[in-house]
Amino acid sequence: MSDNEPQTDGSGPGIVAPDDEVPSWRERKERTTGLSRLTYEYFERARREDQDLRQESSYVERDVLGFPAWPHETIRNLSLASFFTGMILFLSSMLPPHLGDPANPAQTPEVILPDWYLYWSFGLLKLGPLNPELSILGGNKLLSDPLYGVLANVVVVGAIAIVPFLNKGSARRPVEQPFWAAIGVGGVVFAFTISALAVKNLVPIEPNLLFDLTFLLPFVAAAISYAVLKTMREGYMYDLNRRYYRLRPPR
Amino acid sequence: MADEFIKGFAILTGGLLVWMTFAAWYNTPDFYGTQLIGANPEDPGTYVSMALLVKEAALYFALLGATTFWVVIPASRRAREYYASSN
Repeated sequence: MSDNEPQTDGSGPGIVAPDDEVPSWRERKERTTGLSRLTYEYFERARREDQDLRQESSYVERDVLGFPAWPHETIRNLSLASFFTGMILFLSSMLPPHLGDPANPAQTPEVILPDWYLYWSFGLLKLGPLNPELSILGGNKLLSDPLYGVLANVVVVGAIAIVPFLNKGSARRPVEQPFWAAIGVGGVVFAFTISALAVKNLVPIEPNLLFDLTFLLPFVAAAISYAVLKTMREGYMYDLNRRYYRLRPPR
Repeated sequence: MADEFIKGFAILTGGLLVWMTFAAWYNTPDFYGTQLIGANPEDPGTYVSMALLVKEAALYFALLGATTFWVVIPASRRAREYYASSN
C-alpha cells in the first residue's frame, strides 16, 4: 500500500478538497436536531444581531462581547435565583431549627470577639508594641495605643480604597504582573495573620513569636509567589496564553 | 475533563445534601454538642431505619461517585492511553 492512499481510520493523507456536495461545518451544525440545534440557532442569532448592530451604528467596538439583558441575562438570572430560593426553602424546611438560649444581658461573656470577618480589624487594634516611644518625649508615646490601632485601620482601609483608582487598564493574569500579584498575596496572607493575632489567646503559639510571624509571613509569602510567578513566565504555554488573552489596545 | 469534574461535583453536593438532611434529623442530639455525626437513635422504627439506610447510601454515593469521576475515570483513561501508546 502506497503512502498516498487514503486510510479508513483517518490517518494518513486522506484529506480531499471539499466539493459542492460536502457540507460545511456550519451546515453540519445546523443539521443537528433538538436542544443543540436550538441553542446553536439562538446564539447564532444573538451573534448576528450583535454584528449588525456594530456595523450599522456608530456603536464603539468594545473588547468584550456582551449578551443583552433580555432575554439572555434575565433567563439565566431567573434560573440562578430560583435555584438559591429553592435551596433556602429546602434547608429551612428540612433542617431542624437552631434556637439558641436567649442572651443574658446581666452577664459578660467569657470571650469578647467580633465576628470572624472582622478579626483583621480587631487585630490591628493590638499593634501597641509597634507604637514608637520617643526619647525626646522622655519615653512617652506620641499617640496612645488605642488611637494608634484606629489609625492603623485607617491606613489599611485607605490603601484598599485607593486600589480602584490605580488605573491598570484591563485585568491581567497574575503571571503577567508578578510584582502586583505578589503584593496581593502578601495582603491576603497579612489578613490571615493579623486575624490570628486578634485571637492570640486561642492560637497555640507563643505571643511574641506570633507577633513576629504576623509581619514576617506576608513578606515570605509575597517573595515565594513572586518567584513562582516569575518562573511561570517562561515556556511555550506562557507565550501561547499571552497571545490568546491579549486584548486589543483601547482607542 | 470539565464535564467529569462537574459530574463528580454534582454527585458530591447532592449526595451530601441528602446525607446532611437525614443526619440533621436523626444524628443531631444537641445543637451545643455533636452535630450530624451523633449516635443513631436507639430502637428505630421501620421508617427511621429506612431513613438511616438512605442516609448511609447517600453518603457512600457522594464519596464513591466523586472519587469515581475525579480519580478512577481519569486514571483509567490515562492508563488506557499509556497502554495504547506503548503497544
